Amino acid sequence: MIRFILRRLLGLVFVMLGVSIFTFAIAQVVPVDPAAAALGAKAREDQIAAYRLELGLDRPVWEQYAHYVGRLLQGDLGNSIRTRRPVADDLLDFFPATFELALAALIVSLLFGIPFGILAALRRNSWVDGLARLIALIGGSMPIFYVGLLGLGLFYRQLRWLPGQGRLDSTLNPPELITGLFTLDALLTRNWVVLENAIWHLILPALTLGYFSTAVLLRITRSSMLEALSQDYVRTARSKGLREQWVVLRHVFKNALPPVLTTIGLTFGSLLSGAVLTETVFGWPGLGKYATTSVSNLDLPAVMGVTLLAAIIYPAVNTLVDIGYSLVDPRVQVD
Amino acid sequence: MLFSDVFRRLRKEPLALLGLFLIVLFFLLALGAPLISPFGPNEQDIIGAKLAPPSWQHWMGADILGRDMLSRMLYGARISVFVGLAVVAVAGSFGTLVGLFAGYRRGWIDEIVMRITDIFLAFPPLILAMAIAGALGPSLTNALIAVVVVLWPIYARLVRGQVLILREREFIEAAQTIGVPGHQLLLRHLLPNVLAPLLVQASFDMGSSILIIAGLSFIGFGAQPPTPEWGVMISDGRNYITTQWWLTAGPAAGILLLVAAFNLLGDGLRDVLDPRLRR
Amino acid sequence: MTTLNLQRRQQLYAVLAVLVVALLVVACAAPVAPAATAGEISREDTLIFASDLTDILTLDPAVAYEFSGIQAEGSIYETLVSFTTGQAGVQPLLAESWETTEEGDSWVLTFTLNPDATFASGNPVTAADVVYSWGRAIDLNKSPAFLLIDVLQLTKESLSAPDAQTFVVKFPKTVSPQVFLSVITFTVAAVVEQAVIEANAGEDMGSTWLNDNSAGSGPYVLNKWERAVQVVLDANPNYWGEAPKLPRVIMQSVSEAANRQAALETGDADIVQDLSPEQKVALEGNPDIEIINADNTQLIYIGMNAMTAPFDNPDVREAVRYAINYEEIIALTGGDAKLTQEVIPVGFLGYTGELPFTQDIEKAKALLAGAGIPEGTEITALVPAAFPAGPIDFPTLAAKIQSDLAEVGLVLNLQQLQVAELLNIYRSEDAAAKQMVFILWGPDYPDPDGNMTPFTNYAAKSIAWRNGWDNPEIAEMTAQAAIAATAEERIQLYADITERVFHEGPYAVLYQPIRTYGLRSNLEGFDFNPSDTPSLNFAAISK
Repeated sequence: MIRFILRRLLGLVFVMLGVSIFTFAIAQVVPVDPAAAALGAKAREDQIAAYRLELGLDRPVWEQYAHYVGRLLQGDLGNSIRTRRPVADDLLDFFPATFELALAALIVSLLFGIPFGILAALRRNSWVDGLARLIALIGGSMPIFYVGLLGLGLFYRQLRWLPGQGRLDSTLNPPELITGLFTLDALLTRNWVVLENAIWHLILPALTLGYFSTAVLLRITRSSMLEALSQDYVRTARSKGLREQWVVLRHVFKNALPPVLTTIGLTFGSLLSGAVLTETVFGWPGLGKYATTSVSNLDLPAVMGVTLLAAIIYPAVNTLVDIGYSLVDPRVQVD
Repeated sequence: MLFSDVFRRLRKEPLALLGLFLIVLFFLLALGAPLISPFGPNEQDIIGAKLAPPSWQHWMGADILGRDMLSRMLYGARISVFVGLAVVAVAGSFGTLVGLFAGYRRGWIDEIVMRITDIFLAFPPLILAMAIAGALGPSLTNALIAVVVVLWPIYARLVRGQVLILREREFIEAAQTIGVPGHQLLLRHLLPNVLAPLLVQASFDMGSSILIIAGLSFIGFGAQPPTPEWGVMISDGRNYITTQWWLTAGPAAGILLLVAAFNLLGDGLRDVLDPRLRR
Repeated sequence: MTTLNLQRRQQLYAVLAVLVVALLVVACAAPVAPAATAGEISREDTLIFASDLTDILTLDPAVAYEFSGIQAEGSIYETLVSFTTGQAGVQPLLAESWETTEEGDSWVLTFTLNPDATFASGNPVTAADVVYSWGRAIDLNKSPAFLLIDVLQLTKESLSAPDAQTFVVKFPKTVSPQVFLSVITFTVAAVVEQAVIEANAGEDMGSTWLNDNSAGSGPYVLNKWERAVQVVLDANPNYWGEAPKLPRVIMQSVSEAANRQAALETGDADIVQDLSPEQKVALEGNPDIEIINADNTQLIYIGMNAMTAPFDNPDVREAVRYAINYEEIIALTGGDAKLTQEVIPVGFLGYTGELPFTQDIEKAKALLAGAGIPEGTEITALVPAAFPAGPIDFPTLAAKIQSDLAEVGLVLNLQQLQVAELLNIYRSEDAAAKQMVFILWGPDYPDPDGNMTPFTNYAAKSIAWRNGWDNPEIAEMTAQAAIAATAEERIQLYADITERVFHEGPYAVLYQPIRTYGLRSNLEGFDFNPSDTPSLNFAAISK
């Protein structure tokens, strides 16, 4: 057990090392001189040359990489060329917003995807099943940015049922900073006005971001349940009666669970991806928007920082899911 | 497991057939675009047709430069169909080869390959694609490269996993005993049996790569205007989404239908081939 | 189906029903307007200004060089003089009067400060503060510092404060006093409170501290800057001038144009900046909304590199200017652009309004033939990707030009780049890589020399240099026009230069975009002055 966990963690470390190499490599490809970009438009040639030396850009690549990793381990991700702040500060600033959105989207997809998937499996080939499959199909095929734009146009502009872009009405002050998640912080400080407003603002972006995952979870839950339901012992139990069936259904749920859990871990990755598009449409001040702006401005340190962070979160979450599940069910050692 | 077998079983899945039909339809429309389109995709008519709503002259209306939306949709289909096929073909081929190799050879080669795929798979797809497209420069080609980079590890792992299962089978042992050389073993014996899950994955990925490319183009890192790519067209029309709805509804519907078609086909293929996967 | 499945089914139905009902309740309940908590300012007393604020990088006036940042700072900090709508020339602000004298080969400007002027802290604005502020900008040497250092040729030694009310500055005669006064209306020359900054200097002379606090004398103070979300300004309780009408201004960042329109229609925003022509049409009949078209001094132009074939031949450059269909381009912008073909913007001294070029395909073809340029000649043009050229974006504009040039036999290959990368190439020495460039230029201060020198003087290493156009004769004319004594002289000189630039220069100037503002009808006092920095005066707006 311990060995299993250790192995997973070691694998994670290796992956992060590889990710750092890869990110560093991408940065080398960019056709912009980092020194010139950092000093700005009006810098003179001698200033740029001096800064190049200071940044160590004349050193061999592997040496630059070593320095890069060294700084990374100290938490120094360099300074953003655009905001002129440490990238780490920028990331800390914008991460909670994305996390809150992704979490909300995950909750949405769990709430809608799983029960609907179960229902569809239990009532296979009925209209419920058909509807579920249609929703899953459309959900997995629609471009998320279009849905977001439509949602805003319809529910905000035309119907005025939901608020517009942003995390809060601009006239409200954000709650006291504890976690950075407005809903949680408002709850913890009993700031009911802000809590309510933040939830209102979360609805549309969370639904937009979450519907793709909803579709995926729905599908997986349904097929996993169908799989589990097709086992022999279910058929036997069906013919036997009430109590047996209840017991069997519990078994069915348990057996159907693994692929679902794994999928939850995987959907987190798609949530991070989708966040980029959702945040752009909804003006959500999170990492996605930060990433887009940074890439547009060829702000290398920022791009590298965001990519690195994303590539660390995603496998970390998956590893946690794997470990968590194996803790729950020691027989399962997911490799 | 022959293709005729697959087709026969597939015929019983009406939804999968619908998907296949749609795909073929789009494919034909894409191929025939130069012949069918009433206008060229970049033919401008600012004075005459700027933002014209759907009419007899322009069945799907016209955009801000007076370009015919229907023609642009058809040419856009070319790009999307091509994108779906090309990206998956390249990523799939490369990934399959790697996976075959790793799964068969095992040992430290396998470990290294697994770690490398882990690294690639660590990045959320769109973010990695953005970083690559940003580094290489915004263009459709670079976006395609980016998506290939994102997709290939999936195939490598998939195929590797299959190979691990298959290599224990008797027919492989038998072939080895006879002395069939390694690469022949890989290509002639292992590969055909790996095709099943591969095709299922490929079908789904054709859909998702279209979505990723459209997403990249929407935020400006993929295809650039005036290319009539559907994601670009939605981006072009995003300010007019409720007023001149035809600018965005067409491309969005196009993406939806084509991706759904691939998903339906993938679903059907999986249902058909699935029982075999389990054994 | 047996009873168990029925039970299970019913359970799930129940759950779904609850979810659906919950959704319906949520949907039908009108969104509750958040009640302002005690001490907070109500919505009616707040001005909400929505625009794309992603360009804000700093709120330090000595560092800011971005439109939105300057709009924010301009409400917090004040300069010695400024422009006011309806009045020509600079008007007193922190300085109540000034006098120009000569001393050898320098001008000396002596400013007498307004004795009433105080900072938000209550302390008076002294000449020492002015010396400190300008010196700080020079020391920090960030993006806008070139205005003081290069354009006005100031050093810290040029500044002095003989007494608390008198500020003296000395600068070489190569700079005209008229230009000087124009330049110092820019926020880089804003006055900050020395005592406050020094108390919070940190490692960068207070630059970081100023992102979250303010030390100015203007009608507003900084409440907070929520990065990538909004900037909140509160009325300065100690303001020495006329108090601002509304106690709070919130500059909200809304990047999507569709969201801006929605915010305006729902009343979530009072003022919205940048609406497209189609959005204007959509909002036309709406009684709650007023549309203001504001002049923008940006120039959208095409640069052709005069040191690279085929543009090293002036006839080829001329041919391009005759190939363009200007009428259709204006139609493309929905009329939200002012056709102009000269490098001095509309509204500036020296603007002639001449439009020598209209599309003449035959003439263009003849010029090309005469220059020996065969049909099908390929040209690579750099285009900023996803970057606005006023009401449309550059790729759309470039596509139109591409189609125009095709009519005269020139094949334009559009190369789209991030604007950061394009600027890099544009500023580099590699002439071949920038054969043709689509870009814009915004003047930093409202004097014609602010455009003319960059556009005509190769030695200034600005636009003329980037396009490889070295014409010492015209550069000399520009230098003369900058320091000419009277306005009439300058107008005449600039007219001559403009005539030359039309046909000899490496530019095809296309248009000046019109900036559109959408206002709620209940607003009063809205005033946009393109010469003033900032262009919008929040303090004068009321509901």
